[in-house]
Amino acid sequence: MIIAALLMTLQVAVQDPRLERLDPETRGLVGAVIDSAREVGLPSEPLVQRALEGVTKGAAGARIVAAVRRLSADLGTARGALGTHASSPELEAGVAALRAGATPQLLAHLRDVRKPPLTMALSVLADLVAGGVPPDSAAAAILVLAPNARDADLVDFRRAVERDIALGAPPGTATSVRVNAGAASPNAIHAPPPGNAPPPRRP
Amino acid sequence: MFDRHEDVVERVIQHLRRPVVPPIDPGLDARVMVAIAQTPGGSEGRRWLYWASLAAAAVLAVVLVAHPWSRGGRASGSDLLQFVFVAPRAASVSLVGDFNDWDPARSPMQTAQGVWATAVRLAPGRYRYAFLVNGVEWRADPAAPVAKDDEFGTPSSVVTVGGKRL
Repeated sequence: MIIAALLMTLQVAVQDPRLERLDPETRGLVGAVIDSAREVGLPSEPLVQRALEGVTKGAAGARIVAAVRRLSADLGTARGALGTHASSPELEAGVAALRAGATPQLLAHLRDVRKPPLTMALSVLADLVAGGVPPDSAAAAILVLAPNARDADLVDFRRAVERDIALGAPPGTATSVRVNAGAASPNAIHAPPPGNAPPPRRP
Repeated sequence: MFDRHEDVVERVIQHLRRPVVPPIDPGLDARVMVAIAQTPGGSEGRRWLYWASLAAAAVLAVVLVAHPWSRGGRASGSDLLQFVFVAPRAASVSLVGDFNDWDPARSPMQTAQGVWATAVRLAPGRYRYAFLVNGVEWRADPAAPVAKDDEFGTPSSVVTVGGKRL
């Protein structure tokens, strides 16, 4: 009886209360995916957040389960490329890069040339592709910048490329020009001075 | 002076680490064992104590280890970010995303003549988010990269907070 009580306590304790926002059937399926991910050492928080995003946006249960399953699989692929020591933010950014078109080999190469954390480098790669830069151009640019650029430099680089694209430059050309300019002068990849920005920064 | 202070501290630590060996009566063990054997219900009491200890240890382990919904790992090195959305005709705008469990009630935005704003402290990581206008309309942040892998049919944006380089 004591053992049964203990097992019940354990079950209640490990069940994430936030998942109660899902309907019972979806909750069970999502919970099973999360348990499987946890068993192989993958972070569960991104999976929980994806499920909560789905339920808040009113998605059907089957769609939520499919999204959580796909994310779990991609987190596994990202970890395979980035290594078992990769943090949860790095894995999440790795998933974004993979979905943007980066290969696992590229992620592994990035891991070899840049000191951790890789979160910003991977995110900027994904964001460039989302902004219209061809995946190959974005990957080549990040690999050139990754060894020495700071996180802030990478964000400035992304903003500079986005601005050039908004002004009418072809995305691939904007990227390569900014990278070449950055190689010639590290300050050239920076966006123009924004003036005295307020303490909280914008995304 | 600092070195001397450390030396004193080190000596105190060494002193405290020495094993304490009080004088022990050679017959003490035998007398204790006899007394325990004569205690009524002693064996059952110890069994109950064993199971209670086991249960307490299990509950403690669950509390300490199995907190999958805790975001404690992201708590350090946080960054204050300001989110702004222009919607002059909106009655309400909420910021929802990976950082607030996609709960519209957690981050309602304040308006000044249609410019809605709020600031959120975020730990290093990549977050998806969106604005919920009037409780029904999902809008991405026009000032941020778009989340390309939207799977729920509504637009989202992403923000990345950099971590400290090792």
